Amino acid sequence: MPRLLEIHKASKAFHSPEGGTITALDEVSLSLSSAEFLTLLGPSGCGKTTLLRAISGFEPLDRGQITIDGQEMTDRPAHRRPVNTVFQRYALFPHLTVGRNVSYALEIAGTPKAEIRTRVGEMLDLVGLAGLGQRGISQLSGGQQQRVALARALVARPKLLLLDEPLSALDKNLRRQMQLELKRLQEELQIGFVFVTHDQEEALTMSDRIAVLAQGQIQQLGTPEDLYRHPANRFTAEFLGESNLLPVALHDGAAILADGQRVPASGRGTSTLMIRPEMLGTAPVADGLTFAGTIRERFYSGTSNLLIVETQAFGMLQALLRADAPIAVPGSPVTLYAGRADLHIIPGGAT
Amino acid sequence: MKCVTPLGLYGVLFLAFVYAPILLVVVFSFNANPINMMIWDGFTLDWYRLIFGMEAKAAESASYIDSTAQLYAAVRTSFVVAFATTAISTLFGTALALAVSRFRFRLAGFYRGILLVPMIMPDIVLGIALLIFFVTIGANLSIGTIIVGQCTFLISYVFVTVSARLALLDETLEEASADLGATPLQTFRRITLPAIAPGVLGGALLAFIISMDDLVITYFVAGTGDTTLPIHIWGMLRRGIKPEINAIATLMLLFTLVVAAAGLYFRQKKE
Repeated sequence: MPRLLEIHKASKAFHSPEGGTITALDEVSLSLSSAEFLTLLGPSGCGKTTLLRAISGFEPLDRGQITIDGQEMTDRPAHRRPVNTVFQRYALFPHLTVGRNVSYALEIAGTPKAEIRTRVGEMLDLVGLAGLGQRGISQLSGGQQQRVALARALVARPKLLLLDEPLSALDKNLRRQMQLELKRLQEELQIGFVFVTHDQEEALTMSDRIAVLAQGQIQQLGTPEDLYRHPANRFTAEFLGESNLLPVALHDGAAILADGQRVPASGRGTSTLMIRPEMLGTAPVADGLTFAGTIRERFYSGTSNLLIVETQAFGMLQALLRADAPIAVPGSPVTLYAGRADLHIIPGGAT
Repeated sequence: MKCVTPLGLYGVLFLAFVYAPILLVVVFSFNANPINMMIWDGFTLDWYRLIFGMEAKAAESASYIDSTAQLYAAVRTSFVVAFATTAISTLFGTALALAVSRFRFRLAGFYRGILLVPMIMPDIVLGIALLIFFVTIGANLSIGTIIVGQCTFLISYVFVTVSARLALLDETLEEASADLGATPLQTFRRITLPAIAPGVLGGALLAFIISMDDLVITYFVAGTGDTTLPIHIWGMLRRGIKPEINAIATLMLLFTLVVAAAGLYFRQKKE
């Protein structure tokens, strides 16, 4: 059975106003099994939006190939591709009612009137806007417009839905709620989602898999746990979550830290050891690493305490402790411990 | 009594400066004095009666409308020209605006610029140029040359009006439409056209009013048999300002106001 989406060596360059070229996509390959929630994550200008627009057909590729459900898409115009998109600013048709916005794809497809009515009703139910079909777009709140955009893109029952930073215009609480709803929708409908965002927290919360993009290339592709715990390179480690990155020398089956502490590791040369702030604690651990230092700052967030600890050998370290852990005041000495299982050496990662 | 501020006084004077002459024309059109219209001699509708070829009590010697038939012919010519030029310039002006805003091509800015030139070109230059052009290609001056001549600059007016509206249109709406399966033609009909309709309508009304009103360019390219209303009035004026002209001017003013009001009304209704 063909995969739902297959991208093979997609490349695209733009001309910059200064006369040079900007590589937006550099031989990106990617595939999506059906009913998967894939997130394209990266900073602005990394190529994630270009990749999404290449899938929807708005950005022709310079080289490479895209197939959807086994069908070649590369030269097919946008209106003949079996995907639908939720746009960043929703792009709802202002002169049409909510109902007519949602029914648009069906009207174009020539679906019988009675069926259109039923399916639009179902869609509005699904996104929680039942009974608002007669409303004008300008009468809706941002969250409601978001739901209309979703209903409009889902009404034709695409197998693949593309979402271009759809939550970026919402305030924080609404965002959180929509994240959960989108995930629920995707699981309920059992279709593929390709979701573009620059928000790493959003990506971790919702995705089955995440592709981290930078400079037109996929830096790493994997499950959220995978990416968070075992980043393949420094970029991923720094982009996803907070981290303490310590230079190490690999030698004789061990990674040697600047202060002489050792942890077992293979390889040679220099590399980077990553310790997530929440992996550092004040309770002693039998065989791990120990960092003695002075508390410089403390940030309390309700669920946790973030300590900034100054150490002799490594400069500032961040440690995220549970809020109920005993905490000394800034200025006092502290010893932090990290278990061996919680350490990650970034492969090939000369600093 | 409220104190009159200098700014308030300025405002009143300014309005008087702009509207007093027009108001005078309207008032004079009802003045019964056939010799000196500056002297009020009672209210009359005689000048309007004369225009429409009806019996009038006013001294017949005062009438300079040689024949009502000629006036009617001029009005008819003006309407034929206005409808034709409006249709042509709206079609081409809108198409041009779409092309310049939607297609990315080199020199797009240059094209936009040269489309604006006919609007600022001195009428007399355009008139002479058109006349020489028509004579050179051996075209008989007729109602056809008036229509072609007026379209050369009316297209620019429509282009500008529609372009302004297009600039407000979010292009992702067209992408959203394509994304939902609409062909480019369907997208144009269902999304683009409704969005720019007020601009198209505004451009059409503008073209219509300007066409009805144009004297200089039309004067150059009109054949002897094809007299538009402004040319007819110009001809009358050369034999002195007579009260009937005030009545004709008042009616033209009324007509223009009605067209403009209709335009505003439909525009408001759209939004």
